[in-house]
Amino acid sequence: MDVLSYTLYNNITVWDVLIFTVVVLTAVVVARAVRLNLKKALSDKIPRSELDILLKIIYYGIIAIAVVSALPHLGINLSGLLVAGGIAGLVIGFASQSVVSNLVSGLFLMIERPIRIGDQISVGDIAGFVEDVHILSTIVRTYDGVYIRVPNERVFTSNIINYVANVARRFEYTVGISYSSDAERAIEIIRRIVDEHPFALRNPEPAIFVDSLGDSSVNIVVRIWAPSAVWYSVKMELLWKIKKALEAEGIEIPFPQRVVWFANEGGAKIESGENVPAREDGRNNA
Amino acid sequence: MSNQTLYGEQSYGFSYSSDELRIECSDVYRRSCRNKVVEKRISGGKSIVINPVEPVNLPQEVTSYLSIEFLKPLLLEPGNTAKVFIKFPIEIGVFVKGRATGPIDIFTLTRPKYTLYGDPKSGLICRSYESDVYTEMPETDPLKEGIISLKIKNDDEEWAEIRRTVFDGYSMKIYYGDVVSMTAEMRVINRNVAETSFIDRPLKSEMQKAIELYVARKLLIERKALLMEWGF
Repeated sequence: MDVLSYTLYNNITVWDVLIFTVVVLTAVVVARAVRLNLKKALSDKIPRSELDILLKIIYYGIIAIAVVSALPHLGINLSGLLVAGGIAGLVIGFASQSVVSNLVSGLFLMIERPIRIGDQISVGDIAGFVEDVHILSTIVRTYDGVYIRVPNERVFTSNIINYVANVARRFEYTVGISYSSDAERAIEIIRRIVDEHPFALRNPEPAIFVDSLGDSSVNIVVRIWAPSAVWYSVKMELLWKIKKALEAEGIEIPFPQRVVWFANEGGAKIESGENVPAREDGRNNA
Repeated sequence: MSNQTLYGEQSYGFSYSSDELRIECSDVYRRSCRNKVVEKRISGGKSIVINPVEPVNLPQEVTSYLSIEFLKPLLLEPGNTAKVFIKFPIEIGVFVKGRATGPIDIFTLTRPKYTLYGDPKSGLICRSYESDVYTEMPETDPLKEGIISLKIKNDDEEWAEIRRTVFDGYSMKIYYGDVVSMTAEMRVINRNVAETSFIDRPLKSEMQKAIELYVARKLLIERKALLMEWGF
């Protein structure tokens, strides 16, 4: 008991510090329990991106309220803290410019919300899925599964490409067929394949047309709209189906080729057989 | 086997076979259709329930909206009300019933197709289906098509040319019997805006209410009407 009443500083006893610690620890435990239960209850009712932000606000809100309410036990006057906070803010601002910059960028990212958890994005030279948006950084999982922490300032000041921000998006193929193949028939086949795919959207209508006459092929452009959630799998599936269908119908997808015309009418005459004189190097002509 | 024997509550040991579909359910649930076989081992439960579900799940869930495009547009005079029938595609849900009821399989004998209603930024991805507009109840194969009894009211002061209607899967009320049905209303508000909603009512007597997949899985808020903001 004597230990508990031992004065540490300015009439603050060990007992006061103990109360502060217990209040904060209890708040952490309560905040975790609330977060866990809310996560269980709301995980299939609110989109994950919104749920994560809501849970963070509730979790840190509970702890902040507990800390603020327990601070008087440590003899800290909140009105004094505000003044001190102003001065400290200036000091911290100068001392940790990049941290503050990331923090502010993080807040703006959360308000503006150009990206959400689960979105496929590209920021600078980093592309992948948004795993989390923290207050100081954004976590991206690249398509090959690598974890990348991007400071929020960089995310905020870069061009963000969000591939799934809109509900639908378009992708495009160029399919080259040989000059001897029937382009109208090829377009018909491609249209049938596209129409058969459930996620190749009926509206906006797919556009399939001869785009250019290339060096080795007649180039048919295929433009398809798909739901953003599944566009990449649709893109992967359809190209192979188009290739197989065209080949099955005898439409050739040519290699790059060049027709060479010799200037002399007869061209080179190559002969082989018994009456052909032996080569000077002694090797057989045949 | 007739169609009526597929829908409804079935005890373990049940089997169904037709040209396009085969279902067996004992301790292993096995379904084959369109060259695809699904097998699941069931532990517990008492019976299975097979009924039509909201047709917005296949081949994978990307939306909860259904758009039905009319093959011939319907012209409606200002202030008038038309009662018509349109068809909708069927997706069949299989539920296991025990202490709780849960979905174990969803399949369809139709070919799903999707469309965008509105613009790519804020429009709606919808399951798309084309239907004629009938003044009398059309003939349908209840394993492939259902019937929506649709009351359309034109509250605008101009004639309305209606080419499509869009519904929200969360408020669908499906009934089944010798036909599969829903009852819906569409109110034309102005030149570009209409509102659709469902009425919890069977088309005929002796129809059973289908287990609602969406309500069972994701009850968040009750959604009653869908505002069609991008034309009809």
